[in-house]
Amino acid sequence: MTERSIHHSTIVIERTYDASPSRVFAAWSTREALLRWGNPGDGWDLAYDHFDFRVGGGDINRFGPRGGPTFRNETTYFDIVPDVRIVSASSMTSEGKHIFASLITAEFILAGKGCRLIVTEQGAFLDGHDKRANHEAGWSEMLDKLRIELLRTQVAA
Amino acid sequence: MTDRSVTHATFVIERVYDASPARVFKAFSDPAARNRWFVKADNWPIAEYTFDFRVGGRETGRFSPDGTMMVYNETIYQDIVPDNRMIFAYSMMIGDKRISSSLATVELKAEGTKTRLFYTEQGAFLDGLDKVADREKGCRDLYEQLALELERSAAIA
Repeated sequence: MTERSIHHSTIVIERTYDASPSRVFAAWSTREALLRWGNPGDGWDLAYDHFDFRVGGGDINRFGPRGGPTFRNETTYFDIVPDVRIVSASSMTSEGKHIFASLITAEFILAGKGCRLIVTEQGAFLDGHDKRANHEAGWSEMLDKLRIELLRTQVAA
Repeated sequence: MTDRSVTHATFVIERVYDASPARVFKAFSDPAARNRWFVKADNWPIAEYTFDFRVGGRETGRFSPDGTMMVYNETIYQDIVPDNRMIFAYSMMIGDKRISSSLATVELKAEGTKTRLFYTEQGAFLDGLDKVADREKGCRDLYEQLALELERSAAIA
């Protein structure tokens, strides 16, 4: 019988990017951009089965290391203020088991000519399948890739 | 222009009930029981209510405390383990303004013939439209209503 447990944990991570809040927000709200930076593992696969970025809409994606376990994430968008914030709820499963649930807030704050991004992941880790350290590493990886994405899509002034 | 802000907070409510985990769980899952202690708790007129208690299902409620202010609550069930736990994301609006989005977990632990319930809410409180202390008090009051419901239904049984 499964040993049931919930570990609640809040992760706050931030970066400042040399891009406007509008450009950073755009990278969070378009499928093509997310496919490039939204993958929490180095060299992992990521695909969207469903993508509907609007309040009340949501997305379903699958990701994971090649040849390794697949993670499935189902997200519902609760609040979208263009260029300002996104609040969403996500539920993660792997091999048919619920492993993690969270509320994720992304805030896009004007910082000079750039954008300060603050990501707050309020999470519940279920039954010992997943842990905070994995998510800290995953967000760090994604936000580093976001920097590359923003440089790549920079329009010459 | 609205002043935008997010306050993240976590609170935990712990309450012991003189009932088995199965009876406590039933008070959440059975529409008639739930209606008595949760839906009708404040006796506010209900304009709309739907309840679909399953993983991926939703509960929605539209109600007005004073006849003019319309409160809207939407809950999405992410994980349900019968007699053990419920994990859900919920969001509240007053009129057309979203006031909060939260991840909530209810854990039921047997203690002899009783149940210790842990309610943990990890919330994003938006634009100063609700105070964390008020939300926590509101939840605490609800869990007192649950105690009354369990006492009532034990007396009838």
